[in-house]
Amino acid sequence: MYFKEIILYGDRGLILDFGQQSSKSISQEVNAYYHHLKVLGLSSTNIVPSFNKIVISFYSEVDRKQSLNKIQQEISQINPSTTKQNQSTWTIPVCYEDSFALDMQRIQELHDLTKEEVIQLHSNTTYYTYYIGFMPGFPYLGDIHPSLITPRLESPRIQIPARSVGIAKEHTCIYPKVSPGGWNIIGQVPFNLFSLEHPRTSLFLPGDEIKFHAINQKEFERIQKKDLSIDSLIKEYAS
Amino acid sequence: MNTFTITRTGTYLTVQDFGRYHYQHLGISPSGAMDPRILKELEKVIPQHANQFLEFAYVGPSLKVSAGAIRVCVGGDCNIFVQKNNNTQIEHQPYTSINLFEGDELTVYNTIDSVFGYIAIENGLGLEPCLNSFATDTKANIGSINRPLQIGDTFNIKEDVSSWKVVFNETVNIEKQNNFKVYPGPQLNYFSDLALQSFVSSTYTITTQSDRMGLRLQGAPLISHISHDILSEGILPGCIQVPSNGQPIVLMRDIPCTGGYPKIAILASEDIAKIAQLPPGSHINFDL
Repeated sequence: MYFKEIILYGDRGLILDFGQQSSKSISQEVNAYYHHLKVLGLSSTNIVPSFNKIVISFYSEVDRKQSLNKIQQEISQINPSTTKQNQSTWTIPVCYEDSFALDMQRIQELHDLTKEEVIQLHSNTTYYTYYIGFMPGFPYLGDIHPSLITPRLESPRIQIPARSVGIAKEHTCIYPKVSPGGWNIIGQVPFNLFSLEHPRTSLFLPGDEIKFHAINQKEFERIQKKDLSIDSLIKEYAS
Repeated sequence: MNTFTITRTGTYLTVQDFGRYHYQHLGISPSGAMDPRILKELEKVIPQHANQFLEFAYVGPSLKVSAGAIRVCVGGDCNIFVQKNNNTQIEHQPYTSINLFEGDELTVYNTIDSVFGYIAIENGLGLEPCLNSFATDTKANIGSINRPLQIGDTFNIKEDVSSWKVVFNETVNIEKQNNFKVYPGPQLNYFSDLALQSFVSSTYTITTQSDRMGLRLQGAPLISHISHDILSEGILPGCIQVPSNGQPIVLMRDIPCTGGYPKIAILASEDIAKIAQLPPGSHINFDL
């Protein structure tokens, strides 16, 4: 149990604090609390989980006070180990070929690995979705194999292509759309992960498990052409 | 059908409302009006605004009615003129309803000693909400119109105006303020007593590198004795974060949803609108 305390944040916010560290087991507890808070019917404007905190915001100070009472009453009932998180497991195709893998060489040189080894190490791990943040639908996935841990680019790229797969520190990610950013780019996914038209909005949700498998350029183009909707992606790539 | 077109954009012309909530866990910021107090005042003149307001910064837009008629109200400290179809020009006051008929063109000039102004339109702009809100986040391209408005953007309003009676809001009270009492931020302890002393005793200047995402301040640098890199965590509008150059940034409505800089303090919610209205070059003070 990592949960420490509830802290008042300004006049309309609350922080649930889970300590100073980050790990999958801390995040699983954070996400278990998040799932409980979501169904409490709080008069909140947003509930935002991250590695080691949940930040909740409210319409007014009065709403916060009422919700704080409710959370305090319910919090002892939360048992993270028995919480059903409804998470999905995804197997996502990634093309690691040169035209997409903008920083593959840098990674190979830094860690003295062959391209095949980098691909092996990246696609042989099952990743955990810590949370979605930074930009709409951007998943923080972890943890990557220790021999792939790489610092962010010293100077961020002005434009990273949409659907690029990146690594930075002990995390990997997928950029949902074109964006500036400092992650090391090693591949690309052949479909969009974010849609304002679908009620789910983001393909991945906190707590989801994700595995990547390598595809070649031809397969990438074949899948890309299908222009799959979120519903078809769920059907085809989730279990 | 009642139709009007944007004939001059002014600056940073976007559609806004009171904010898009319940999506921040998917990386989607609350956005919404930088100064919602003005929306509340406009609501008293045009209650049927359908939650679709135009927001501009510094320089207001021009709107020309090409079919039918509309009723609007401008909020903020600015001069307002209507060029009538017969070439006469009429001056109008903020917080007073204005009737615009086919051929009329409304022009809103600069905001005076402030930044943001708004236009409410009876029955709204004829838009569909995006994720339950009309607010625009131009950095994330999210909104009913997912970009700043451009010359030629045309709005069609099906419903006709209910009454042409001129309504005036006599009780507008938009306070101005340069001193802000703040609450401690979650990483207050990242700053030494000396740094905290600088924070509350120095004057900070709002720089021109400020927008709907944040106000970059310049003043005594606040260097953490622990780190300027924390585990990313949820951000609220009004947070004051300090990157490694020590110059604080006040996060506004188009927040990055999570962030990895230590937060020294957070503004009172009511003060976010007040600080938003201070133009670059304004001097501000914080009190913890």
